[in-house]
Amino acid sequence: MTMDSALFFFLAAVTIISALTVILQSNPIFCALALAMTMISVAGLFASMNAWFVAGVQLIVYAGAVMVLFVMVLMLFDLKDEVRAFSRGLVSGFLKIASVAVIGGVIAAAVWMSAETLFSSTANVAQMSGTASTKALADLLFKKYLFSFEAMGALLLIIAIGAVALSRIEGGTHAD
Amino acid sequence: MPINDAVSHVGLSHYLILSAILFTLGLLGVLLRRNVIVILMSIELMLNAVNISFVAFSRYSPTGNNDGQAMVFFVMTIAAAEAAVGLALATTIFKKFREVNIRYFEHLKG
Repeated sequence: MTMDSALFFFLAAVTIISALTVILQSNPIFCALALAMTMISVAGLFASMNAWFVAGVQLIVYAGAVMVLFVMVLMLFDLKDEVRAFSRGLVSGFLKIASVAVIGGVIAAAVWMSAETLFSSTANVAQMSGTASTKALADLLFKKYLFSFEAMGALLLIIAIGAVALSRIEGGTHAD
Repeated sequence: MPINDAVSHVGLSHYLILSAILFTLGLLGVLLRRNVIVILMSIELMLNAVNISFVAFSRYSPTGNNDGQAMVFFVMTIAAAEAAVGLALATTIFKKFREVNIRYFEHLKG
């Protein structure tokens, strides 16, 4: 086992275990902490694929901003352990787990059937250095995808206004 | 393929399988949990799974293009926007019912 594969399997194990904690833990604040752990290990996976800039953005945006948003809202609500964290109903629960199993099976089958081509594919030999790949990414974002990039900026502005408007609508605690 | 090779030689399919597992876990969380905030967290898990497969495809693409990494930026923007709006909705629901259970969403009309 080489260093690369050891790193991959370690990060994959951390990702899967913390993702399981997110969906199984009944206290939402522990879910948030496990989600932060997942984000950090996913950033490590990005770094293991030489996507350094994406790894940094993942840490700043997800593990930083989005997690702060989640934890702040959770602290605002002051939620304790939930009484009924999972949906009730034996039949519907079974149906849900079965449908997830079907989806997982379909994805696994798709990966398995293309395994011949996938396993033969090797990493890009001519890997660029960190700064060069970041430069190439900036070229893509600001030339090829310039319109989409600007549209994303407009979308974020609209979302910011919408979130403020949504949290100010009638019927809240300030109304009564 | 020999097991030894699959363990010692990490390839595209390893990342794709990890991405599939993470996506399925997120889907399970969305379907099973009742807390709106935890449902949003599970959606973030699913988006992260997609990001892993995007970066893996761009890493192992034969032509060496970075388009997959550019896509990750758009996915991250959408994820941040979705978290902001979803948490604003959760705040609205909490103001009315003092709880963030998903079943109260039907009462938000009007």
